[in-house]
Amino acid sequence: MKTTVVPFGPQHPVLPEPLVLDLILQDEKVVDAIPTIGYIHRGLEMMVERVEYTEMGFVVERICGICSFMHGMGYCVSLESIMGVEIPERAAWLRLIWAEISRIQSHLLWLGLGADAFGFENLFMHCWRMREEILDIFEKTTGGRIIHSVNRIGGVKRDMSDTELAAILVQLQDLGKEFKKTAHVFGTDPSINHRLGGVGILSMEDAAAVDCVGPMARASGLAVDTRLAGKNYYDRIEFEPMVETAGDCLARVVVRMREIEQSIDIIRQAIEKMPKGDDQALEIRPRGNPQGEVFTRLEQPRGEVLYYVKANGTKNLERFRARTPTFANIPAMIKLVKGSDLADVPNIILTIDPCISCTER
Amino acid sequence: MANPLTLPMVPRALKNLFSKPATRRYPYEIRERFDGARGTIEYNVETCNYCMLCARRCPAAAITVSRENGYWAIEHLTCIGCNVCVEVCSKKSLTMSKNSKPVHTRADVGPQGQRPGHEEWYKPVPEPGE
Repeated sequence: MKTTVVPFGPQHPVLPEPLVLDLILQDEKVVDAIPTIGYIHRGLEMMVERVEYTEMGFVVERICGICSFMHGMGYCVSLESIMGVEIPERAAWLRLIWAEISRIQSHLLWLGLGADAFGFENLFMHCWRMREEILDIFEKTTGGRIIHSVNRIGGVKRDMSDTELAAILVQLQDLGKEFKKTAHVFGTDPSINHRLGGVGILSMEDAAAVDCVGPMARASGLAVDTRLAGKNYYDRIEFEPMVETAGDCLARVVVRMREIEQSIDIIRQAIEKMPKGDDQALEIRPRGNPQGEVFTRLEQPRGEVLYYVKANGTKNLERFRARTPTFANIPAMIKLVKGSDLADVPNIILTIDPCISCTER
Repeated sequence: MANPLTLPMVPRALKNLFSKPATRRYPYEIRERFDGARGTIEYNVETCNYCMLCARRCPAAAITVSRENGYWAIEHLTCIGCNVCVEVCSKKSLTMSKNSKPVHTRADVGPQGQRPGHEEWYKPVPEPGE
């Protein structure tokens, strides 16, 4: 049969960022998809050779606007493990709380984008209205809505008072109750079920074969979660990865909705367990220059992120590399797109939660 | 799925009819930024001792200081608002204001090639006889 090539992207209504797919179609079915990335490569990893390692944290934070806190945290954790710095306990708990708040923010943003992609504009506005409250919490506690600049090598720069933490928890729990209504719509609305249910099914074997990470893998029944490794005080928190077994687009939506509720619970546990008192140490100044190399793994909202940092004892690092979750999920996306209808391609691409800025750096 | 005959949307529709809008009438009603929000750097020329720490530590190289001429300048469009200069300032001459500068509508370039948003201060000339 004759094949047609349909270019998908770099500009497309469902894509917030420039991803390019050449879809090779036979009739309405996609038989092959060839991804191209590189439209927003900014060479941030190369900057490490001319920016001092203390200042590089601000560059790393700007890799992506949604996971910016986690990127800054990952860089600082890497440098701390190279330099053998143990950060103060309260600083570690604060990082955990901010990381979970940014996970809620990212998932709400994605749910809104997803709702917009399948044509439910009202739901999109509800999700983004809730996200706005989270951004207000960020502005109150860190000083910035998107770029937080609170992570430093050796700790964090800002503290949250105990009363502020309690108020944030109440605000988040109210938001969780409100979110339940929105989640009810996602779960029960027949048009959403029709559009997403049974579309783009990734079986557990396939997910394991292409090494999926994050919500993508958990929606296919793989209980992978880097937080289970227990680094960064996650060992003191009781939680289980949210696993769904259906593996379709709807399961990926459900996993992210359940993770929002789980993150609120993790924040509650963290606030209960963190040492109380407002006048505690938040930062330890590391001495000298770093020497050595390290791999750091973190669980970002989109999945596992890997940082490789190599330092040579000077004030400039030798190599910095971030393997982001979208990069790991692109093979799975190509696998899903092959064999699907052209009309389902936008939803399948969106449910992996692509972040092209992260992928290209 | 909820039974459409029981009119599940009616309470929500009534609530939406009588509740406040979720949005703000933006240009007429502007939300105050929270305390501690990072906006623009403000500088006090009276207390500065031109130690150049801020210029050295600025990740974006937005600050220019000259000790000989008593000169301090910042490019607000280059500044990333990371608060590092405020943290290192030993004389507390720098403060972070929570309000951002308005957007520039013209791109005039100064005689030394200064970009819009460029601000500079000189040390006040001492009064004669002091």
